[in-house]
Amino acid sequence: MKNYRLLLIFSMFLMMQTLNAQITLNLALNPRPQPYLADWMNPVNGQMIISFIPGTVLNDPNIKIKTTLMDQSRNIVGISNINASRVYTLRQGVNQFTLADALQIENLMLPGNVRNLLQRTGRLAAGDYYLQLELYNAGGDIVRAKQVARFSVISYQLPVLMQPANEANLDAHIAQNMITFRWTSLIPSSAEQTFYRVQVFEILPGQTPMQALRGNQPILDEPAMRGTTQFIWQPNLPMQDSTANHKFIWTIQSMDAKGIPVPSMDMTTQGRSEPAVFTIVNQTSVKGGEKQNEVLKTH
Amino acid sequence: MYLKFIGHWIVLVSFLSFFAVLESKASEKKDSLTIKGDMGIFYEGYGLNKTPGSSTPNFYKARKPWNLVRYSFNPVFSYGKWEIPVNFNFNLNFGQNNFNPGYSGFGMPPGIKQNFWQFLTNPVNNFGIRPKIGNTEFLLGTQYVKYSDLSTGDLGIFGYGVNLAPGKFRLKLFKGVSQGPINYVAPTIANPAGIPGAFQRNQWMAQLGLEKEGKYFAGFNVVKSVDKTGSVTSPPLFPIEPQENMVVSFLTDLITEKGWKYHIELGQSFFTRNLNAPLSVTPVQDFKPFISSHTSTNKDNAVMLGITKKGVDWEIGTKFNYYGAGYYTAGYQFMTNDKMEYLINTRFNAWKKKMNIVGSIGERYGNLSRTAGPALTKQIIANVNVFTQFTDRFSMNTGFNNFGFNSPALSGYKSVSNELTVNPVYTWNTTTMSNLFSGTYTWSKYDETTIIPPTTTKNNTQTALLLYVPTIFNSKISPDFSIMWFKNSAPLINLKLLTGTAGMNWKINPKFKLKSQLQYSLSTTSPFTANKNLLVTSGFDWEVFKRFTWQLTATANVYHYGTELPGNSLTPIYSGYPAYFESILRTGLQYKF
Repeated sequence: MKNYRLLLIFSMFLMMQTLNAQITLNLALNPRPQPYLADWMNPVNGQMIISFIPGTVLNDPNIKIKTTLMDQSRNIVGISNINASRVYTLRQGVNQFTLADALQIENLMLPGNVRNLLQRTGRLAAGDYYLQLELYNAGGDIVRAKQVARFSVISYQLPVLMQPANEANLDAHIAQNMITFRWTSLIPSSAEQTFYRVQVFEILPGQTPMQALRGNQPILDEPAMRGTTQFIWQPNLPMQDSTANHKFIWTIQSMDAKGIPVPSMDMTTQGRSEPAVFTIVNQTSVKGGEKQNEVLKTH
Repeated sequence: MYLKFIGHWIVLVSFLSFFAVLESKASEKKDSLTIKGDMGIFYEGYGLNKTPGSSTPNFYKARKPWNLVRYSFNPVFSYGKWEIPVNFNFNLNFGQNNFNPGYSGFGMPPGIKQNFWQFLTNPVNNFGIRPKIGNTEFLLGTQYVKYSDLSTGDLGIFGYGVNLAPGKFRLKLFKGVSQGPINYVAPTIANPAGIPGAFQRNQWMAQLGLEKEGKYFAGFNVVKSVDKTGSVTSPPLFPIEPQENMVVSFLTDLITEKGWKYHIELGQSFFTRNLNAPLSVTPVQDFKPFISSHTSTNKDNAVMLGITKKGVDWEIGTKFNYYGAGYYTAGYQFMTNDKMEYLINTRFNAWKKKMNIVGSIGERYGNLSRTAGPALTKQIIANVNVFTQFTDRFSMNTGFNNFGFNSPALSGYKSVSNELTVNPVYTWNTTTMSNLFSGTYTWSKYDETTIIPPTTTKNNTQTALLLYVPTIFNSKISPDFSIMWFKNSAPLINLKLLTGTAGMNWKINPKFKLKSQLQYSLSTTSPFTANKNLLVTSGFDWEVFKRFTWQLTATANVYHYGTELPGNSLTPIYSGYPAYFESILRTGLQYKF
């Protein structure tokens, strides 16, 4: 008797499934998506796949997405306005969406501090988050599918150049043989190894520093030893030559383990830090009291 | 190659003749056309021979273009009320086609010629004129227009504009291209880096203000930049996207008669990282008619404050800067944001003006937005330099600087650098000569600590330099001699460098000076044998005619590796130790008129 009842219930369930449309939500979210939420339109961050199999009786292909953003304690950080959500009409089969469609940044209601940060930076504070998606009918009152995915967001601060400091003067006798470059680490320290590329450009006669940086071939273009933020360059160049300009601009390019530049606000800079200029001064050309102003390393 | 170079010289000589004629005509008739300024040609040839010639890995790469010619032409034409400064400074390629393709999209891979528009907008070239009549100045061609520190300043822009200064009013307008269009080029075996490419970036800027020179300035700056999406046939790949930026800043400077100087600038930026993102008034509202917001638009602020008081032989000042995490201006493309910093600096004389002290101390806080982790980063910068003239013969320069950087989060990092430099100088004269003896000793300690894994790397560096410069009063030859010792100790590194240098200047006649230098270095990385380096430089400075100078320097750099780089580590195997010979020829002709 019991088996008969179970069989009846199961048969009714199958019948309902046949009558109702089937909607399956699959959220393929990169666990470390790009920190700029607007960039979630790029496939590298993942995608949202909705499978739709129409039923024989109920086959409403229209859906709305409700997005809920939660912090690592599952407290709600942001929630979309279901009334203002866009209505999507699903095709039979597989429907692909970008994560920007899932996130609905333009329809996300955020508390003051999060909204302020998003307005100012386009990013969330670093940390772990959950993205919960619920597919509603067009009326916005029946949940047809739901999925939650966890992700973490982190941005990087590029290194700051420390030595030689901007506009420092270096003694030609020492600089001709050796110049020490130091910079601060990429923040936060990446779990993967970070590569630093030291680039020095000679500022040719009549050029501005930025002109040299943007156009010249670097006279030094070397990777720093892994894990270090110091590079000792042995230039072996005639720094005391009066024809030479004796002025250089240097920068650090930060790259991840795959050699891809660390993202920054303006991607055309390719992960390069704010550059610094230094000048080589020939100590033998100045004597006595004049020298103090000429050979002075400043920070 | 050399025929081409001779051709360039012929062009230069023709120019010289032309200006000589113009100048003579100008002197004949006053208040007509006058020309002042300079022009020149600069050539640098580079050579590299390696032993073995080719190997894998490539143990030493060419670090300069094989041939580089730069022209400069900077006359100022004056005619009646007109004044027309010209600034032409450009490269013509000699064989090697443009510059390093690895750099952010401005270079060209070998074999691809740049078109005329790319040549004009190539950041390596300058073609600018600024005709001025009365208070009106026109800007044409490449211009480095600096309005302020938070708006625009360090980028060359090819375009046109005007500066007007009626009375106390200042109105400046400029429109141009700060970045030429560069097509994306995929990496190949010949060009493994490829070309990331770049959209053409158009810029508009304006300044409206009031000014009394040397007293005050107050005004608004507006800068807008837009990447032109259709400017390239092969657009850059993700993540380089077309961008849009607008900055509005208010700037004021005030100088009082009592020596106080105030500087205030408040800026707000709108920045759209990707113009292909959908239009949306969330998270940032439109700023019509200038900005239509996208989902990738953000808006943030920056502040710069400074105050300085200057006395007769002293000065003290302080400044405070804040850059919001979303503050961006295309006028300073590399500007670091998300930081707040203050600095106090001073300069004064003491001990009957025999002592001069320059010092500064400041702190910089980063990650204010917490987008790069849960904690602030903190950086301390302190520097002091004391110069003392003890007697007529003896002086001492002492410098100390410290910087510490701390990012305290779990994935944090800490570094501390301390550096002390002592530089005594002793001079004495006899009836026939003067002597200068200078010693410099620098001690530097640099410790880096990571939390995961918990490691501290200690890096100690010492540098010592002894310099002797005798000057014989009745001799045309002035030599100098120096010896330098350098040691760097760190885990897995023990580097020593010993260098001896002898230099000589020989003033053959008042117009011709020969100069040469010989340097020999031994650099040893423990436990290997020393790398040996000989650097020989020779050349002259020659005033060929009045106002026409010619400088030439030739350098040979011979480098022999020690056991650090055994030949059997290369493919194909080389018996012995590799070496290279580098030669650099630099010459410049300059004419002042």
